[in-house]
Amino acid sequence: MIENARSLNIAASVILLAGMLYILGPLYLTLATASQSYEFLLRNGLAWYPGDQFFNNAARIFTETRIPIQMLNSLAVAFSLAIATCILSFLSAYAIVYFRIRWAGVAFALILATIMLPVDIRVITTYQVASNVFSPVNALLDVTGLNGLIAKAFGAPVQLELSVLNTHFGLIAPLVAHGTGTFLFRQFFLTLPKDLFKAARMDGAGPVRFMFDILLPLSRTSFAALFVLTFLSGWTQYLWPLVASSTPDMQTAVVGLARLLPDSDGEVPDFPMIMAGAVIVSLVPLLMIALLQRYLVQGLVLSEK
Amino acid sequence: MNAIDTAIRAAAASITVKDLTKAYDPQTVVIPPMDVELKAGEFTVVLGPSGCGKSTLLQMIAGLERVSSGKILIGTREVQDLEPKHRGCAMVFQNYALYPHMTVFENMAYSLKVSGAPKAERAERVAAVARMLGLADYLHRKPGQLSGGQRQRVAIGRAIVREPAVLLFDEPLSNLDAQLRHDMRVELADLHRRIGATTVFVTHDQVEAMTLADRILILNKGRIEQFDTPKAIYHNPASVFVAKFIGAPPMNILAVTGDGAALRLADGQVVANAPLTGAYQLGIRPEDIVVDGKANGHVVRAALRFREDLGSHSVLAADLGGSTVRIATPFGADIADRLELDLNFPTSRLHLFDAATGRAIPGAFGAQ
Repeated sequence: MIENARSLNIAASVILLAGMLYILGPLYLTLATASQSYEFLLRNGLAWYPGDQFFNNAARIFTETRIPIQMLNSLAVAFSLAIATCILSFLSAYAIVYFRIRWAGVAFALILATIMLPVDIRVITTYQVASNVFSPVNALLDVTGLNGLIAKAFGAPVQLELSVLNTHFGLIAPLVAHGTGTFLFRQFFLTLPKDLFKAARMDGAGPVRFMFDILLPLSRTSFAALFVLTFLSGWTQYLWPLVASSTPDMQTAVVGLARLLPDSDGEVPDFPMIMAGAVIVSLVPLLMIALLQRYLVQGLVLSEK
Repeated sequence: MNAIDTAIRAAAASITVKDLTKAYDPQTVVIPPMDVELKAGEFTVVLGPSGCGKSTLLQMIAGLERVSSGKILIGTREVQDLEPKHRGCAMVFQNYALYPHMTVFENMAYSLKVSGAPKAERAERVAAVARMLGLADYLHRKPGQLSGGQRQRVAIGRAIVREPAVLLFDEPLSNLDAQLRHDMRVELADLHRRIGATTVFVTHDQVEAMTLADRILILNKGRIEQFDTPKAIYHNPASVFVAKFIGAPPMNILAVTGDGAALRLADGQVVANAPLTGAYQLGIRPEDIVVDGKANGHVVRAALRFREDLGSHSVLAADLGGSTVRIATPFGADIADRLELDLNFPTSRLHLFDAATGRAIPGAFGAQ
């Protein structure tokens, strides 16, 4: 729809401007606050104009808080999450598209269903499982009555216990189970010529060789797109890291930022320092997008090259 | 003739298919038991309408589809249980299926690389094939930078660089435009004459079949309707199916009844003398019908419905006893405004088919 009426142009510009204000306003406030001193905030309230204290505030983030180590946690979580998701999605999509599997359609539907079940919805169950990864096994043994038999034979029922709470693995694993990547790769594979797999077989390349020599190089942009998306989502995760990690040294940067607010009422939070922290924590994903945005767009439009 | 030609000619092997069947489940039988032998160095075109099992047959020879039962022999070796790479087949696909991220050179050398050929040998063999196919200047391009015909040639090059015992084509020309298809047809015929590889070429295009084939294998619902030279198939179709499938426009098929002395059309007109009784199907090629002229056969009267002038000739459609008959006449014949035509059916040009089975009844009108 391309209209060229002047009134329409003006209306569109106004809406655009309003949208920009909506997005840039808070960003401006963040930057302005981050560059003022705590005393300035106590005296004047909200900072409407920038000051010269940014580097001071930033330095305090590094000396007075655990944000640096928490950023390392975030980096580890986001990076491992992105890598694990990429590999898992690629392999599952490869199986679904290129092999005749009896229940491939059902499997794919189940994988897609995980998109409708983000961690936020299943957080309680996920927490239960994370606090003891063997709890499903235990429950199964109880329900099937096997534990009764074992108790009779050995004197005690089986109760396995292993908690992954407060570990990096526990932070990452529940987030990996997400179908978006499989969907992305599946759609990409479907745009490739159908006979490619057969051609490779005729050339003597088996399924593994085909995957490494042909499918993997062709999927580069999809990989990059999925990597960036998952990395960003891993970096900005809040709820799961909040419940799954209990010590400050295990928490991620986003959780750590929220924890910078004082626990007691009546105290004015050190907003300049918190905002400086927010800016620093945002730098990593920003850098990521800046470096890989070309692939991000290419991978998401799923065009055949 | 250079080294690669000789090598391929030497590698060419026959294909023998014995009691081959393919069924996805007991209800969907794609190919009922089939027996056929393709000679070494022969260019066989497998022709049939879509869904007739021709691609399935090809993929079973290649090893991309499992056989349900029966044997496939390449040369004297049973191959039906072997992996594709151990069968000595190479294949050219309909959509080329070139590896988009590899250069032309890498595409052609890939199978050699997989089989572990040393680098120098790879380069040498690819260079020889590229020279033969006129691709020497394009070796460093990616498939995306090539035209349709060039991509086709790369796909062929990728197939023959391994010096296969059997070369398989799966409708390779159907993605090309008409002019290019014609050029590629000529190139393929020329290539086959030079390298002499045993070739199986699947298509639904009768022109490709007629022009390329040493012998044509016509499939209908997985069954072999006829396996013969293009000339024999055109002049002595073994069944109504073949008669209607080959030729443009196809052979006219008319329902006739024998009264012991003559064959009559539905409206009672006599088209031929023959001591036959019962129902038959009578076939005659559009170009064999003589309009108004003298020929050694019966004359029937038909109503002209319309005519198409094609430049080289005209095609008339006439109503004869309730069915439409197509007649190919020289262009511009003076029959423009007439409604009634006298059609002469030369007896020697008639084909008779069994009404129930559709199989040809040879020699029904004496020697043909």
